[in-house]
Amino acid sequence: MNMKLKKAFSDLLISPKRTLLVVFALVLGIWGVGTVYVSNFIMTNDLNANYQSTIPSQLILHSDRFEKLDLKQFNNLPEVETAELRDFTLQRVEIYPNVWIPLFLYGVDNFDDMKQARIFYETGKKIPDSGTILMERDCKGVTSIDTGDSPRVRIGSKITQVTVSGICFDPAQAPATQDAFVYAYTDKKSFSQITGLPSNRRMIIRLNNVYSSDDVKRVSYGLVKKLNAQGIVISSVEIPLFNEHPHQWQLNTLIFLIGTIGLLAFIMGAVLVSQLMRSIMASQVRQIGILKAIGGSQFQIFQIYIAMLLLMGFIAGIIAVPLSVISGSAFSQFVATKLNFNILTTTIPLSVYAILIAASLFLPVVLSLSILIKGTAISVKQALSDYGISQNANSRESKAFKKSHFSNTFRLAARNSMRNSGRLAVTILAMALGVAIFSTGFNVRQSLYNLLSDVKNEMRYDVQVVLSKQVSREEALLPFKSLENVKLVQMWNGGRGEIQSKLLSTNKGAGIVALPTNTDLLKMKMIQGSWLAMSSDNEIVMNQQAWDIYKQPALGSEVILTIENQNIKTRLVGISEQFEKAKVYMDIDKYDAVFNPNHLVNNILFVAKTNDYENVIAMKKNIEKAIVSTDFQVLYVMSQAERVKIIYDHLNIILMTIVFLSFLVLMVSAIGMASATGINIMERTREIGVMRAIGATPQKIYSLFVMEGMITSILSIGLGLILSVPLSKLAAIFFGNLMLGKEAVLQYAFSPLGFVITVVVTILFGWLASQIPAKSAILVPTHKALSYE
Amino acid sequence: MNQPILSLQGVSKEYQSKERTFAALKNVSLTVEKGEYLAITGKSGSGKSTLLNMITGIDHPTSGKVLVDGLTIGELSESKLAKWRGQHIGIVFQFFQLIPTLTISENLLLAMEFVDVIPAANRANRVTELLTRVGIAEQANKMPSTLSGGEQQRAAIARALANNPEIIVADEPTGNLDSKTADSINAIFSNLAQSGKTVIVVTHEKNTDLKYRRIVNLKDGEIEIPTT
Repeated sequence: MNMKLKKAFSDLLISPKRTLLVVFALVLGIWGVGTVYVSNFIMTNDLNANYQSTIPSQLILHSDRFEKLDLKQFNNLPEVETAELRDFTLQRVEIYPNVWIPLFLYGVDNFDDMKQARIFYETGKKIPDSGTILMERDCKGVTSIDTGDSPRVRIGSKITQVTVSGICFDPAQAPATQDAFVYAYTDKKSFSQITGLPSNRRMIIRLNNVYSSDDVKRVSYGLVKKLNAQGIVISSVEIPLFNEHPHQWQLNTLIFLIGTIGLLAFIMGAVLVSQLMRSIMASQVRQIGILKAIGGSQFQIFQIYIAMLLLMGFIAGIIAVPLSVISGSAFSQFVATKLNFNILTTTIPLSVYAILIAASLFLPVVLSLSILIKGTAISVKQALSDYGISQNANSRESKAFKKSHFSNTFRLAARNSMRNSGRLAVTILAMALGVAIFSTGFNVRQSLYNLLSDVKNEMRYDVQVVLSKQVSREEALLPFKSLENVKLVQMWNGGRGEIQSKLLSTNKGAGIVALPTNTDLLKMKMIQGSWLAMSSDNEIVMNQQAWDIYKQPALGSEVILTIENQNIKTRLVGISEQFEKAKVYMDIDKYDAVFNPNHLVNNILFVAKTNDYENVIAMKKNIEKAIVSTDFQVLYVMSQAERVKIIYDHLNIILMTIVFLSFLVLMVSAIGMASATGINIMERTREIGVMRAIGATPQKIYSLFVMEGMITSILSIGLGLILSVPLSKLAAIFFGNLMLGKEAVLQYAFSPLGFVITVVVTILFGWLASQIPAKSAILVPTHKALSYE
Repeated sequence: MNQPILSLQGVSKEYQSKERTFAALKNVSLTVEKGEYLAITGKSGSGKSTLLNMITGIDHPTSGKVLVDGLTIGELSESKLAKWRGQHIGIVFQFFQLIPTLTISENLLLAMEFVDVIPAANRANRVTELLTRVGIAEQANKMPSTLSGGEQQRAAIARALANNPEIIVADEPTGNLDSKTADSINAIFSNLAQSGKTVIVVTHEKNTDLKYRRIVNLKDGEIEIPTT
């Protein structure tokens, strides 16, 4: 066997604990990065593959004149890949007694030959029997309805029962469990039969040679023009997100999150490995001198330590690579369940394994390269005159400290902590970073909770009834005359509208909400400008999503609002922060003056006298009961509690990931600290022997080292908490932008619970990190400690 | 007269600190012939170890030259110096300095592997031969920590001889051994000198007259009385 390799191998066995610690650090680092890499590989590929497998539509046109269309001829247009008339209506379904949620019902032309917006068979009937529906599989997370059940469905003012004949899978839809929707599919004939609505009012289209939303917009102009020329007036144009799943943002957030934290865990692992390699090199300085004295060149000695690292990397790789694949796959499966897509990756390609193994082998080498070069560059003379850690200027006590009332043990511990100031700085920085990330995890979580709380506070009503067909104020109030626990009822109006722009909108426009300017039921946080004022102008306020969609018009600028071909000149006075779809707010009187001369309403808002969760839910059920006997065409009835729950469900997966991963980072930091303490103790073995020889009890020595660890922990906590403030602010900006819109800022929040947990957990970790090596230090017999080199 | 294998020409070594400059060696000139058995003696702080470091290239003079077999070793790079040292000089330390994680034979093999002048096929035989020569052949496969001090020093001498260097340099080789063991180690050095190796020993011992062919006594960094 090559003697250099033999030495590398046998050196690893000198201190098995230290070797295990390095391997553990490498395993953690590689595992962290590996999990991110594997899950990123699976999720990015599979969510997109799931979505693309549906052959998503790129353009949706609405018209009540499609009977004039020669679909075959339209399909032959060079810009059209395929077009289909697929019906759609938004109605309501009763998922539990008196609990109704939105029903998205689609009328499919031919289940056997879906050329776009495809759905996939799961169980029951593949093609629904006449008059029945297929239900999307994720809906089973919000309802107990299953194949064979016949839930009540409210179509406009009519209630009917529709049987579910099968379960299908539609990976292009936003997960039903997060949005509390039911997606259902039936044939065109049954669509009209169930809904009583005319068929063929909506055309879904895939286009040739389009590569972006802008391409789709460009082509759609031409198509709309051609159709209009044929007398087919297009009432609205929808352009879905191009080639992007509706919940891609969640996946992006998660990937970014685990990527960042995985990287940080890796950096922590890297710091740990380099710390430990530094310690190995420090303990072998004299040996390096001897090796040079007997003829070893720097390169030859360097090879020994490289071999050592490669061996450790190999062992770490054997453990970490399968772990990464398992955890990466498990995390992907977890996300896939949450986002309702199938994991299609059955085998991880060899290239992924190869990259992970290469990372295991070479990353420790790269991370420790400078230490190895520096360590092996030492001259024979320096190496042979090295006697380990020494007293230095940093460890001298100040006069004030000397005069203080601290115990001798504490003063000695404080002084010892400063002996290797470089290592102390690295340890504190690494630990502080862990504390900062852990604390940031809680702070971001707090920011999100505050957001939910703001949602509750900004919408100060308890139940909202939204009608798809407007009614008079008197009609709106009539069914609820005998409703109990009602403190206040207010009625608003609104509809779907557009801000005029040169481009067609990229989605269905914005929801226009017309409400009394001085309403007490909506108090939103303003990002810019102010809320509507009593003025002669037609003022509007946009939430940030609407503001983003309409390319961020300047505050105070004039914008033209279009609702059902009627226009109104308005002035933008404010931009509000809201975790909601795009909405534009304006005064109801000014709205009515242009769009609603009969003062009809489509929003009924209830404020409960007693608004705890049970009473609000009871009120909502009573409202639903009252609605059953009316002719109302209800879009949805929603309580604030449910609204908050839906938002929470959207964010929960992110919150859980943040806290879990930041805990991992803190744990890796603590291991780093344990290793640094271990190194300090190991380097001072002879000193321990001297202390024991002059009468220090094992308990005294133990206390000394634990106290050193605690000093490091406390300094790390202090620095970490300071660092957590800018880090939390940055994280809040990032997550705010990702979830709320480009200009939205998730407000920085301090989490008192997070603070307490951070302090307690860090002190606990710090204590563990120092007491384990301290315990092993006092187990070394005095004579062995004294003869330690 | 044999040709000189080692020549120190006006070698001075100064160490500087903030407070003062300390001269460890002052204009030392010394010639050592091939096959000579030389002792460098002196009190603690007299400059013995510094002189040894100059000879082995472990340290470099502030002024003056060190020539080994005609080569000015101060002109070699660290790596070339390490290789040169392994090939031409065998060093024996007071505390043996064997690699604790390798067996005795592996310690010798590592030294040969570094320098690579002994063909790989001959190395195992050479290990046996050298360990037999220093009297510890049966300890070949043992770890250094299981050997006595004397045995460890014999192993260190065998390692110093591994690449068949012309010069053996020993720094207080018996300083850590009892007198009986010290005598046996001195006997090995004496035999090496008789076999043609140049042996330079730094020692504290007072009764050195009988053992060495020449004694150089250092005092305050200067050669005091060259005795033949």
